Amino acid sequence: MRRALAVVLALTALAASACGVGGGETLLDKDTVVIGVRPDLPQVGFRTSRGTFEGFDVDVAAYVAKKLGKKAVYRAVLAADREKVLVDGQADMVLATYTISQDRKAKVLFAGPYHISYQDILTRPGEQIRNVRDLRGRTICNVKGSNAADRVVVERGIAARLAPFDDYAACLSALKGGKVDAVTTNDVILAGLAIRDGSGLRLANAQFNEQRTGVGLRKGDVAGCEAVNRAITDMYQDGTASRLLHKWFGSAGLDLSTIAVPQFEGCS
Amino acid sequence: MTMVQARVASPPARRSVPGSIRVISGITVASLALLFAALAVGGVSARDGLRVIGRDAGPQVVATAGLYFALSDMDAQVADVLVLGRAYEQQRRAALARYDERRLEANRALLKAFELSGDNPAERRTAESLLDGLGRYERLAGQALLLNERSSHEPGPPPDEVVRTYRQATDLMRLVLLPQAYNLTLENGTIVRRTYDEKAVVVPLVRVAVVVAGLLALACLVWLQVFLARRFRRVFGPALLAATVATLVALVAGVAVLGQDQEALRRAKKAGFDSVLTVARARAISTSMQGDESRYLLDKERADTYEHTFLDKSLAVLYLEAGNLSTYHKAVAERSSKALGLLGPELAARDGQAVLETYRGFQAADTEFRRLVAEGRNADAVAARLGPVRQAFDAYDQALLVMSGRHENVFERAIDTGESSLDNLWRLLPFAIGGIALLMFAGVWPRLKEYR
Repeated sequence: MRRALAVVLALTALAASACGVGGGETLLDKDTVVIGVRPDLPQVGFRTSRGTFEGFDVDVAAYVAKKLGKKAVYRAVLAADREKVLVDGQADMVLATYTISQDRKAKVLFAGPYHISYQDILTRPGEQIRNVRDLRGRTICNVKGSNAADRVVVERGIAARLAPFDDYAACLSALKGGKVDAVTTNDVILAGLAIRDGSGLRLANAQFNEQRTGVGLRKGDVAGCEAVNRAITDMYQDGTASRLLHKWFGSAGLDLSTIAVPQFEGCS
Repeated sequence: MTMVQARVASPPARRSVPGSIRVISGITVASLALLFAALAVGGVSARDGLRVIGRDAGPQVVATAGLYFALSDMDAQVADVLVLGRAYEQQRRAALARYDERRLEANRALLKAFELSGDNPAERRTAESLLDGLGRYERLAGQALLLNERSSHEPGPPPDEVVRTYRQATDLMRLVLLPQAYNLTLENGTIVRRTYDEKAVVVPLVRVAVVVAGLLALACLVWLQVFLARRFRRVFGPALLAATVATLVALVAGVAVLGQDQEALRRAKKAGFDSVLTVARARAISTSMQGDESRYLLDKERADTYEHTFLDKSLAVLYLEAGNLSTYHKAVAERSSKALGLLGPELAARDGQAVLETYRGFQAADTEFRRLVAEGRNADAVAARLGPVRQAFDAYDQALLVMSGRHENVFERAIDTGESSLDNLWRLLPFAIGGIALLMFAGVWPRLKEYR
């Protein structure tokens, strides 16, 4: 009887592993995962002079990869390429200040969000821009691949002029050179830029849009998405999230009074 | 054992007959054991799947969705009371009564969720943290209500001091408590998906194993009969014939029950649970949307943020291409039929039309409400929020509940069907095993006795 049971169980296990329970490609089947992170955002995702990556997103990526039991390999991904690297299979996960939106969800799957930030405004010291409405008639950076400037003009309906830039470094020097009046995007990105710049650029603390920063995954990888969500829950429950947020943004005057696991987007 | 004895005696052909009978009988019994073992494994596995999906995760989704709704509405009621000011005494009392009602509901749902979390440590931690948080929320909300009462302001935004206290309360609710309740709902979706994916492979496979073992057992029984018939020059022994028929019946019944369970699991998951979960999520997001309306009215400094979260949530519930709220309002009103988002796939069902119509009504009421705010008509906006907007939302919520109820019925029926067919198998199995064993014995023992 026991042997028969064992035979049946063995047969079942064999077939189950052969079919791969659930089916569909998932990053959980890999030993090494390629993670896309930003190379251009100080404190968030930044390539150091030694060629390694550092920042909040990178630390979160490392934590998640460890929780999944995977070796992590990082690759640089700019705002404009985040969707492409996932769709083409050049990266398994993207943690690159990737804001969850319904139209992006048509192409990629989002785990998380792992952080809720707000859209904010960075200006030269002494500038009188306090909230989003003060951007009327002013020139703001429109960084390629980021939807932040659109959210001011289209979503909030504020008539600001857009000046296109490839990345935040170019945008920041234009701000300091007076070619643009303000930079607007996630407060964490602005905080990182201000910390690195060190010349006294200031955050308006306008907090006008909630930005849900998620983990980009290939569409259809439901099992991978659920596993990442569990890892993010652990990250908040064991205090790592709070430690990382204070480590990277504590000095920038960012409001860190409420640190709690965000409401997930859901994997299906 | 029997083989060894036969060989040691190195007997002439006739004396090996009892040995052969023993060998063939042994193989037959082994294959029967295999059949019943496979049936038992299949039954246990299917029952486990039905229990996890039907008795743990399914009810937990309903409990946590109820929790979310109650918590979210508590916060919306507080915001309503704060914008009412000293006018609208009747509405103020109604909102406070609704707050108390939701608080009771939240407590009950939380207890239920805690009970259902069983020995899952992460779920337990979440439920405990919710319990702690709810206490803190009630304290902060109480302070805001008290300050509001003292200030005795006009309908519309209350004084800064009240707004600041309410902000602490609503931040705790929206940023700490509600996400935990929502994630608990999602986590149960994960549990169901994993269980279902596993069972969708295991149960059909065991079913194949049952067929193979059953055919093997039948072949052995026939072989035994043919052997006995030849050696003892008898046409079929009635006992063995009956054992063969009983085995056939057990095989057919077992395969049928496992097939029914497979189908029950599929129906429970695909036609029931998935939709229950989707509607629960849509309802949760919609509830916090209508809270955002009151908060938009209440907190001028954060009005842009609350308008944006309202749009964000609208897009999640029913996605139509729209870059801002007024475009969205237009798009919803123009009856764009091809919608994505959580409710998109659900709208094709027959109660989907009612959901879509009432959702449209709610968004139309919101359009009017925001127009009043934009014109600075605070008192009218408050009246609209508590009148037409609230009514439109309640109608929409009711339509969602009807839709959810239909899916819950499908879900429960599938689980009940699966469990009752398993119960029947479970009841018959001991009789089948005992009966077949007796018949085998009755068929073989008299033949062996002839050699004593």
